[in-house]
Amino acid sequence: MKVEISRRRFLQGSVAMSIAGGVTLSSSSVIASAASSANVKLGNEEKNVATLCEMCVNKCAAIAHVRNGVVTKLDPNPLFPKSRNMLCARGNAGVQALYDPDRIKYPLIRDGEKGSGKFKRVSWNEAFAYIEEKLTKILEEEKDNRSTVAFCAGEGMAEHTFKNFFTGFGSAHFLNHASLCLATTVSGYALTIGGYGQADLDNAKYVIMAGANRAEAIVTPDTMDFFKRTSGRGAKLIVVDPRFTNTAAKSDKWLGINVGTDLAFVLALTYVAIKEERYNKAFVEAYFADFADYKNHVLNNNYTPEWAEKITGIKAADIYEVARDFMAHAPQAIYYQGRRTTWSKNDFQLRRAQAIFTALAGSIDVKGGICFGKSLPLIPHEAAAPLYAQAQARIEKGEAAVVGGSGSWVAFRNMVVEGRSPYPIRALFNYKHNPMQNMPNNKKTEEFLKKLDLVVTIDTMPSDTVMLSDVILPECTYLERTDPVVSYGGIEPSIAQRNKVVDPMFESKPVMDIMRGLSAKLSKPLFEITKKYDEDVKMAIEDGSEEEVYQEYDLTKAFAQSQEELNEHAVSKYEGAAEILKTKGVFYPEMNEYFKKTGVNDYEYYPENKRYYSVLKTKFNTPSKKIECNLDALTKRGIDAMPTWKKEYEMDIPEGKFRFITGRHAQFTQSGTSNNKMLLDLVPQNYAWINKRVANKLGIKFGDTIEVSSKVGKATIKAYPTEKIGPNTLFFIHGFGVYSSALTLAHNNGGNDSSIIEDSIEPMHGASCLHDTLVDIRKV
Amino acid sequence: MARYGMALNYKNCINCRACETACKEENGVLLGRDNYRIWVGVKEAEGEFPNISIMSQVYHPSQCQHCDNAPCQQVCPTNATYYDENHVVRVNPTKCILCTYCINACPYDARYVDNRTVTVDKCNFCSDTRLANGETTTACQATCPTKVRVFGDLDDPKSEISQLLATKEYRRVKEHLGTEPKLFYIL
Repeated sequence: MKVEISRRRFLQGSVAMSIAGGVTLSSSSVIASAASSANVKLGNEEKNVATLCEMCVNKCAAIAHVRNGVVTKLDPNPLFPKSRNMLCARGNAGVQALYDPDRIKYPLIRDGEKGSGKFKRVSWNEAFAYIEEKLTKILEEEKDNRSTVAFCAGEGMAEHTFKNFFTGFGSAHFLNHASLCLATTVSGYALTIGGYGQADLDNAKYVIMAGANRAEAIVTPDTMDFFKRTSGRGAKLIVVDPRFTNTAAKSDKWLGINVGTDLAFVLALTYVAIKEERYNKAFVEAYFADFADYKNHVLNNNYTPEWAEKITGIKAADIYEVARDFMAHAPQAIYYQGRRTTWSKNDFQLRRAQAIFTALAGSIDVKGGICFGKSLPLIPHEAAAPLYAQAQARIEKGEAAVVGGSGSWVAFRNMVVEGRSPYPIRALFNYKHNPMQNMPNNKKTEEFLKKLDLVVTIDTMPSDTVMLSDVILPECTYLERTDPVVSYGGIEPSIAQRNKVVDPMFESKPVMDIMRGLSAKLSKPLFEITKKYDEDVKMAIEDGSEEEVYQEYDLTKAFAQSQEELNEHAVSKYEGAAEILKTKGVFYPEMNEYFKKTGVNDYEYYPENKRYYSVLKTKFNTPSKKIECNLDALTKRGIDAMPTWKKEYEMDIPEGKFRFITGRHAQFTQSGTSNNKMLLDLVPQNYAWINKRVANKLGIKFGDTIEVSSKVGKATIKAYPTEKIGPNTLFFIHGFGVYSSALTLAHNNGGNDSSIIEDSIEPMHGASCLHDTLVDIRKV
Repeated sequence: MARYGMALNYKNCINCRACETACKEENGVLLGRDNYRIWVGVKEAEGEFPNISIMSQVYHPSQCQHCDNAPCQQVCPTNATYYDENHVVRVNPTKCILCTYCINACPYDARYVDNRTVTVDKCNFCSDTRLANGETTTACQATCPTKVRVFGDLDDPKSEISQLLATKEYRRVKEHLGTEPKLFYIL
C-alpha cells in the first residue's frame, strides 16, 4: 500500500533538508562519493560477474557489476530460461544485503545468559574448539547417540553442503522449511499425478489461483509468463482468496472465500464436472485409477455448489460457472498448485482434490497444463553416510502419518519442550534458518532453544534465532561465494551456477569453508567416542584396522575439494559446460543454437517444437502409473483415501474475533529481508488488514496501533482498514516485528505473526497449519 | 540523434516495484522514502467486500514524461533544464539553483530534490548511466519481471516502440495540457 503525497507539499522540508544533510547513500552513490574524495585513491577496475540471486528461493540469474571491488549494480542475466531476464525489487536490493552494516562480522560465543544478546568476539579456531568441547561432552554423556544432536537448514543452494555434514555426523534429525512450507502440496500432487510439475502459464488459457499470489509471491517463470497474458489478453484468471491481492487485481473474477474452506470449493467444482459429464472422458478412461470410486464418493456425498456455498461463502452460481468454464478450456486449464504454506488440517486432501480436478480436464503433461518437463542430470557429489549403531530413530516419527527426511518441525520442537522426547535432544546445528520467526508460537521456540546445551548458528544476519544461539559463525552473503551448481528441469531445462562476485567481507566464510574447518576439528574426537560405545565399530576394528574403519567415519572427506572443483566435476559430462557456467552463469546443451533475442525485452530459449511439454507418453510416476483417485493404503495410517470434507473443518468465528491469515508482499522474503534499507523504503513496515466497516465500528483508523492476541501470544501492529478483506478475517505479512536488537532497522518494526499463530499440525506430514488461529484485537 | 520515448504495457504491472529499486541503484538516487525518480501509482480499490471492483485496482507505473513541450524546461530561470540531442529532458546540476519552479510547474509530480548533487532531479531515461555506456534499455525496463516498458526511438519507424504505437491503442497522461508527453500507456 502506498500513501500518495505530492512531493510539492513537502517542498519546503526537502529543500531545507538538503542543507542539513545526513542522508543514507545507495551503493552507487557510495562509490561516487568515495571516488571524488581527495584522500581515497582508487583505480578504475571494472568487471561483470554472472551470478544467481539469493534474496528468495527463485534463484534468478544476475550480472553483478563490480567497480574497484565494490558491487555497484545487479542487472538481470537474460540467459536463464527460469528467470526470463528480470530481477525483482528484492533482487535489486541484494546490494544492500551485501553491504548491510548489521551483518555478522566475526565468530561469536555467548557471553551472558541465553537471550541476553551478549556475545564475545572469538577466532574461528576458538569457536571450533568451543563446539568440540561441548559436543564431545554431550555425545560422551549420551553414549554416542548421534540423534541427540539435531540439524536444521533454510532453503538455499548451499543447504546441500551443510547436509553432507549432517549425513556424516549420523543424526536422525534433519529439519528444514518443508513442514513449515509446501510439504503437503508437493506430496499431494506427487501421490496423485506423480509430481508437483510445472504449470505452463505461458500457454494455459484458464487458471484458478487459490491462495497462490503470483503477483506478490513471485515465482519464476510463472509470474513473468502469466501477467503478460491476463486482463483479457489470452489467459483467464480466477483468483480465490480471502484477500483482494495484487493477483486478484489482475483477475477476471475474484472469489473472496472463507478461510480454510478451499477443499469444499474444489469438491463442488469436481461435482459439477462429473455430474454434468464435462470432464475429459478419453483422458479419464485411459489414465485414471479408481475413477468410479471417486465419482461415487463425490456424487454420493452431494458435494454440490449449493452445499459448498454455505461453507465457502462463494455463490453456487459462481462455482457452476467456474467449473464449466474450466472444463470448456481443457486441457489448457490449470488449478494452480500453489506453494506457500499448509493452511489447515485438510491441506493434503485439498492438494489431492486440486490435482484430480486438473487431471479431470486432461491438463497433465500437456502444453498449457501441468508439465513435468525434462531434467539435465548432474554427476552427484558422493559423501560418506556412515552408520552409527547408537544413533536412535527420529523422535517425532509417530506424530503424523508420514514424517519424511525433513521432519515435522513443530512436532519435534513441541516434544522437546513438553518433555515428551524418548531421549534428550541436547544440541542444534543451524544453517541459515530462523525458527524463531518461521515457526508458529515463538514462545515455545525460545524455550526450545534455551533448553539445548549447544546451539550453533551459521548465518549472515543477527536474526532472532542467532540471538538465542551459543556459537555464531558468520557466513558470507551469496555475492561472496560460489555455490553448488544446480540443474533446473522443466519445459525449458537448464543448469545454473552462482559464481563468487567479491571476496567475503570481514571474517565471514562460505559454508563450504566453515564445514571444512569444523569437520577437521571434530572428526577424530567424535570417532573416539564412537569407538567406545559402538559395538559394530568395535568389532570392525577388531576384524580389520582402526585406520580402515575410520575412513568410513572421516567427516572431512566431503569437504576436501573446493566448490569450484566440485562444480566442474558435476557438469563434466556436458562439453564446455564448466567454463560457460563460470563466465555466463547458465548452460544448457543447445544454448548456442537455440538462444535468441526476439525483441527489446524478449528472448527465446528453446524453439517451440523443442520444448518439453509432454514427456510421459502414457505412464505417470505413481504406483499404479495412473492418476490416483483412491489411496487406500493411507487409511491404515488414519488418512482419508479420497478427499473428504468433514464437519470439523468448519471453524466458528465468534462475534468480535477474527481468523488470522498470513502471507507476503513482493518486496520482502519472510524475515530474511526485514533489515534491508532499500526494501524498507518501499514498505516501511507491515500493517494489519482489517475490514473497513468493522474498523469504523471499533473506532480504528489507518495507522492506529492495535494489539492482536491469540491463545499463544500477542503482537502490536498498525492498522490498515480496507475492503479488500472480509469482516471476520485479519491479515498481516510475515517476517516483521523482529526482536533482535542487533538488526537496527528491523527491531520492533511492525507485527510478528510467529508470536500469535497457534502451533497445530496436520495429520499427513505434521506440517504446520498457519491459518487455524482465532485472534482478538484492541486499540492501544 | 534520436527522439526517445517509452511505451508502457501498464496492464502487465503487478506493482512489485522492481523498477523503483533498479532506478535507485543505477542512478545513485539516495535511499529514503521521499527520493525517487519513478514510482507505481496506486489507489485503494473501490467497492465493499466481497464486491471489489477489479477495474478500479490499476497499477500505474510512472516517471518523467519527457514532454516535447515541457513546462519544467520553460520555467527554468538558469536553463539547467534542457533538451539533449535525443529529445530527453535533462538537468544540468551545475546550473540548478534549487529555485524549485520546475517542481511546481511539472503537472506529473516527476521532480524531486537530490541531496547528493543538490539538484532538482528526475528521470533522464538513464542517459548518463546506461545509454552513454552503449546500453539500449533503461534500468527500469531491463529489470521489470513482466516487461512493462518498451523504450526506443520514436523517429525510427523500424523501432519496436514505433511499431507498437502504430498497431496498439494508447493514451497519454494529461494530454490536454499540451505538454506532448512521450510516455505512451498501451490500452
